[in-house]
Amino acid sequence: MTAPMGIFRGRGVALALIAPALAVVGLFFVAPLVMSGVVAFRGKGGEFTLEHFRKSFDYYTTDLLFTLAIVLLSTLLIGLVAIAIAGYLTLGGHPRTVAVLRWLYRWPLFIPFVVAGQLMRTFLAKNGMLNHVLIGSGLIEPLSAQSLLDWRGIVVAFVWKQAPFVTLLLAGAMAAVESQHIEAARNLGARRLRVLVDIVLPQVRGTLLVGLVLSFVTMLSVLSVPLMINPNSPTMVTVDVAYRISTHGDYPVANALCLLSLALAAIGAVFYLRHAAAQVEGK
Amino acid sequence: MSALPSSVRMIFRALILALLAFAIFGPLLNLLLWAFAERWYFPNKLPLEFGLTYWYRVFQPRGNALASLGTSVWIAVLTVAFSLAVAIPAGYALARLKLPWRGAILLVFLLPQAVPNLPVYVNIAQVFYQIGLNGTILGVVLVHASHGLVLAVWIASAAFASVDTSLEEASRNLGASPWTCFRTVTLPLAMPGLIASAIFVFLESLDEFTGTYFVGVPDVTTLPLLMFNATMGGNYQISSITALLLLIPSIGFMLVVERFLKADVLAMVGR
Amino acid sequence: MKTRMFILAAALAFAGATAGQTTLNVVTAGDQNMVDYVNNYLAPKFEAMNPGVKVRAVGTGPGDGGSQKIYEKLSAQQKAGSNEWDVDVAVIHQLASATMVKEKLLMPYRNDVSVGKLVSRDTAKNALGADVDGYVMPMFHSQIVFAYNPDLVKAPPKSFVELNDWVKKNPKQFGYNGVKGGMSGVGFVTGWVSAYSGMGDKLEKGPYDASAAPAIDKALSGLKEFNQYVVMTPGNAGTLDMLNRGEIAMGPVWVDMFYTWQADGRMSPKIKLVLPSPGLPGQPMYYVIPAKAAHAQLAKKFIELAESPEVQADGIIKQFNWYPGIDPQYVQPKLDQAAWNKLFTDISPADLSKYGRPFPLSPYFKDIVEGYERVVLK
Repeated sequence: MTAPMGIFRGRGVALALIAPALAVVGLFFVAPLVMSGVVAFRGKGGEFTLEHFRKSFDYYTTDLLFTLAIVLLSTLLIGLVAIAIAGYLTLGGHPRTVAVLRWLYRWPLFIPFVVAGQLMRTFLAKNGMLNHVLIGSGLIEPLSAQSLLDWRGIVVAFVWKQAPFVTLLLAGAMAAVESQHIEAARNLGARRLRVLVDIVLPQVRGTLLVGLVLSFVTMLSVLSVPLMINPNSPTMVTVDVAYRISTHGDYPVANALCLLSLALAAIGAVFYLRHAAAQVEGK
Repeated sequence: MSALPSSVRMIFRALILALLAFAIFGPLLNLLLWAFAERWYFPNKLPLEFGLTYWYRVFQPRGNALASLGTSVWIAVLTVAFSLAVAIPAGYALARLKLPWRGAILLVFLLPQAVPNLPVYVNIAQVFYQIGLNGTILGVVLVHASHGLVLAVWIASAAFASVDTSLEEASRNLGASPWTCFRTVTLPLAMPGLIASAIFVFLESLDEFTGTYFVGVPDVTTLPLLMFNATMGGNYQISSITALLLLIPSIGFMLVVERFLKADVLAMVGR
Repeated sequence: MKTRMFILAAALAFAGATAGQTTLNVVTAGDQNMVDYVNNYLAPKFEAMNPGVKVRAVGTGPGDGGSQKIYEKLSAQQKAGSNEWDVDVAVIHQLASATMVKEKLLMPYRNDVSVGKLVSRDTAKNALGADVDGYVMPMFHSQIVFAYNPDLVKAPPKSFVELNDWVKKNPKQFGYNGVKGGMSGVGFVTGWVSAYSGMGDKLEKGPYDASAAPAIDKALSGLKEFNQYVVMTPGNAGTLDMLNRGEIAMGPVWVDMFYTWQADGRMSPKIKLVLPSPGLPGQPMYYVIPAKAAHAQLAKKFIELAESPEVQADGIIKQFNWYPGIDPQYVQPKLDQAAWNKLFTDISPADLSKYGRPFPLSPYFKDIVEGYERVVLK
């Protein structure tokens, strides 16, 4: 017999247990999503067409690429920040610093995206608080102050808002890494960075990946941050979706863009699926 | 690093912490300033005049801010309860039982997070009007739950995966029924993870406004709706005050549940 | 402990609802101050006149996005086959009103209310070329204007041609919000095309002629060059925001938003307005009644109140400094001269009637905005 699968057994039981949750998502999200998805393939007379996708690519290819680049870069930075903070929380040798850091990093978790957008818009602007502080402390000349309200602002807002989420997940996972492993390596004289990279990170790879995949797809669907910081060209696809709807009442192209955005999200999902498959085989 | 004298390392540490604190609280300070600013414009780097005018405006009797805050919290609590109720069995099945299409099922839960959801909510509204769910708390809870379920299901599944199966087998060998075993062994051991997911679902619900508008308004209005409209219109005072108000339940909920939060459960997320 | 929290939250949640009352739902697009206006100014008056009625105002957000959300909610109820819709009075923009009349989401009411005779302006009958006669009444008129900081701009450009020269001498001092961030940017673009295509009248009055497209594209290519000298701002509020921080010296803004920002202390009282030749577009916000509003009779009474000369004078002009929705000759007698003059501090009535223009007809509008994406953004 293979490894025990649990106290309840059988495929029927499994499906019954998962059915309510699947029903909720299926009824209240997937079905309406399909309803709007078909609009993207329907012409004026109701016939099948790819015209809306052609138009989407015609007008918004740059924005699609821009979106992907922004979200990938943000995901990468979120990962690095989360690893650094969670790593210090786990391995840091100075208890008071660890305590302060633990208290500090979480705050953006409680700030909704739309407010994060507003905060960054006033913080990163040319005459915003960041530049005031930099000029006031003599770090930059008043004339060299520049506005960060372009792709950089969007990235900053995303990292600021999402890094604590990934850090929280990651710090939890790191805390559970067998402390003997860490101790042993430390006793062998390994430096903390080495321990983090060679011993801790491989064991929490799964958690990190999940946090990053969740952040990746969430950022793809956030409208308020790009709308508040830089809705001009190039901008993110969510802005184009809102614009096609509110200025043109153009649901077909908006829905085509949504589906293309979903295709981008699938890139993140593929990573996750591969990882999940590797885990199953590894068991 | 260990070669450096400890005083240098201390300064280095303090510097990094200070920078991080600035990165986190700098933007938040703006929020605080705007919440109390009566007049603030170029070329003044700080508000010209502070006051409580906008607090009175938010709390005016006809403004219903407190009632909306109450509704928001109530919806968030119900969303957490509902999400956990369906996520616990689902998470258990995903973690422990043989499921066909396991990866695909996990991805279905991810969908609501992944799509720009404006066009989808229009269709949800239509369906909810047909079945009479529009304008009800239940309707809003269902929409929020479908959105937050990915967090609840993924983390619940991790929580169950981290429970040591030998403990369950011991309890079964002592003659416990499967249900008793689940109730007395598995569930308590997975509880910290479930509670961690509750935090995320709670925050998710408390931030949501698009779904609330299409399914709730005008009978159900929440504080994030007011905050969204004020922010988009550039009404920084009102938006900052509502954002501060929303911090109270968020942080409160986190503090209450954090006592149950043990780190080791989060380790299994994604395994 | 937990139960107590639940009960408390539940009590809070239902404290607002009072049994045995009729609730009139007013849903308004636009800024939060529109909600406040309905809640604080109109509602108490209306409730005093109609005992047992409670007015509930909800906002859907600024700009056409806000109006679109109202359209979507009504459309959902129409498709769902509901008999009583949950919106009694809506306040929407022109673009949405055209769609909503076409899709039979609105009820004609202007001939049923006594104040219906007080409006004669073209925009009361026609929204971007669509016939909306009888379905709408303007709540107030708004106008896109240039706001500028007189400390930085001594002699503001008085026309689009002057502006084009001015930005070259003062690069990165003019800011506008493109076409994706709200109508003040869109209005600037249509104003530019009117000015440089030389087809202003044709764009506004029609008839639509697809062969005008090259002229539109040519005007837009000039805008592409112009864009190199300006700052792109994040949205209607974003332009005001950058003016507030002194990052730009001039930009197109909605006059109603501008005054709100000034009243709320987010805009220096020194900032002034100018309306350039040959003009910038303006548009009203409309009061409309959904086709199957649950309380249509009350809704008509509500609009009677809101469009009365007294309320227009005291609420719209005195409190907000907005241009009235009904014809001025009915409002002016209800105001003292000082309050009336304040409305025209920066922009004279003569300039307003000469340079305040409607938006182009919707097919032209579409050509211009999509042309902007093709010609200017690529």
